[in-house]
Amino acid sequence: MAGPARLLSRGELARSKGRFGAVVAALSLIVFLVLVLGALADGLFYGATGAVRSTNATAYAFSDDAEGSLIRSRLDEADVAPLRSAPGVTAASPVGVLLTGGKGPEGDIDLAVFGLDVGGPGSPTTLVEGRLPEAGEQGVAAVDTRLQQDGVVLGSQVAVGDVGVEVVGFVSDASYQLQPTVWTSVADWRAMRDAVRPELRGQPTAINAVALITEPGADLSAIAATLPGTTVLTSDAVGLAIPGVAQQRSTLNSIIYTTLAVAALVVALFFALVVLEKRELFAALKALGTPTGALGRAVLVQAVVASILGVIIGTIVARLFGLIIPANVPTLFRTDTLIQIAVFTLVAGVVGAAFSLRRIARIDPATAIGGTL
Amino acid sequence: MNDPIDATSPVPDGPGPAPSADAPTRPGALLHVDHVSKVYGSGHTAVTALDDATMAVDQGEFVALLGPSGSGKTTLISIIGGLLSATSGTVRIGDVDVTALSRRELTRFRAERVGFVFQSANLVPFLTARENLLYVATLVKTPKKAAQQRADQLLEELGLADRAKNLPEQLSGGERQRVAIGRALMNDPDLVLVDEPTAALDTALGRQVVQLLRREIKDRGKTGIMVTHDLRMVEYTDRVFEILDGHLTHVEEPSALKH
Repeated sequence: MAGPARLLSRGELARSKGRFGAVVAALSLIVFLVLVLGALADGLFYGATGAVRSTNATAYAFSDDAEGSLIRSRLDEADVAPLRSAPGVTAASPVGVLLTGGKGPEGDIDLAVFGLDVGGPGSPTTLVEGRLPEAGEQGVAAVDTRLQQDGVVLGSQVAVGDVGVEVVGFVSDASYQLQPTVWTSVADWRAMRDAVRPELRGQPTAINAVALITEPGADLSAIAATLPGTTVLTSDAVGLAIPGVAQQRSTLNSIIYTTLAVAALVVALFFALVVLEKRELFAALKALGTPTGALGRAVLVQAVVASILGVIIGTIVARLFGLIIPANVPTLFRTDTLIQIAVFTLVAGVVGAAFSLRRIARIDPATAIGGTL
Repeated sequence: MNDPIDATSPVPDGPGPAPSADAPTRPGALLHVDHVSKVYGSGHTAVTALDDATMAVDQGEFVALLGPSGSGKTTLISIIGGLLSATSGTVRIGDVDVTALSRRELTRFRAERVGFVFQSANLVPFLTARENLLYVATLVKTPKKAAQQRADQLLEELGLADRAKNLPEQLSGGERQRVAIGRALMNDPDLVLVDEPTAALDTALGRQVVQLLRREIKDRGKTGIMVTHDLRMVEYTDRVFEILDGHLTHVEEPSALKH
């Protein structure tokens, strides 16, 4: 036997579609907005940090003044050996990074060139096509799959200045600062650097950082202590230390949470109005012997249904919108972000509706009798 | 559990506690209102809405509670129906002392033992006529089949069989009030309380509704109390209680009111 709460909520949902349409539409728009913001946050984060997340390195050593930024860091190839023999380190490799413009088959492209001992620490782990350069191999590179949009295929030449490399493989989710990466040898990287930064030509052994593979639970500060003037950070910390990443993340997240709070407010206001309008009916239903709890449950069930519909419609609209977003806007629709936002929306809906429970409890059944006469 | 609400017997057995001297002594009465007063506020701002009301109504009787606006009739019927607590005095329905029940017990008591017909039907606007009847059945956990059969039977009796699937907004005022009567009888209550059932209807329709109400209450052997300020409706009742400024008096013959 269906209880009173089910009969009420089902009846109202089925027969007051227009009114519920309004709150579902409001929730759908909010979910849409939050999902697009979330996709942008994820897109920015993943696009900025791919090159440090999608590798086998567990930590990076920087110069002290770099504040965790690969680009700002300045080390020397001579620093690799002491770090390699530091306690807890199983492997170490020099890393050179160059953010620059280059040329592909279809013209100018932005690039983030990574020079390292390919196969050693810092090598990408997300190869999707072709192969990585082999140890000691010169003149070849694995590149970010995003370069396929610029007409790059296996065998294409990608050049920085007058230094060209042949593309032998593609790696996914490996962008750095939103620029597609080129993974090549330290020598090729240095040649490219010298081509666009002539002032650095006098520093033939300079590198930016040292990629490390550490033992689980290794003491990173002990590693740093073996080489004065260095800082060692985990790969995750390096991602967040990329200029702007942490700030973007916290800004977008605070917009997302504020928007979800607005969702709770919208639901709260909606059900406050619904309850206000139904005061007379609820008083009569209480007089007939309806427990306050059943009326409260009916309202909560409606809030849950409205939130679920809002999530479903908002998600569909956001995904459709994702299809028409220009490719150069970094967006990434991730399932775990979607689940998180869906759960938060549901909670916001229930919390919003819960505010009207007190109002329902306060309705006096005695007001059902006497009426206006 | 010795919950007083479950100890239902259709006919109250034997006389209750000795009625007070000025109360009409009705040993077989279903409803006993014994020296009930209701005072709002306190001190020199206190307002006495009901002053020492005593009445008894038999099983199967349909009585009127007649009085002008503000006379205290709403207060009295609300106390009888367990919607309002009395300042003093007791109300017994059958073997249950209504004035001694907790709020939770009162909610259940109303669902099981009291039927209400409100002034403006107050049906659930988004449920059909039939669902409005089924709704109250869910409050007392009537098995679905039994509830459906009873709802269909009541709608048939009330001449609403072809309106069962209509929403309240699709019904006329008289039809809505008839659905409300069906809802009041749905859970087979001992007592049916009716609050100005004709307030929103014209005279002819009002008469029809009250006639129907009387027939349904009488046929089922229920006890009915109808609050009204409309003298014309009194002829359908067995007895009349008049209330004025909180004082309840018993009028032995309804015809005596017709001058």
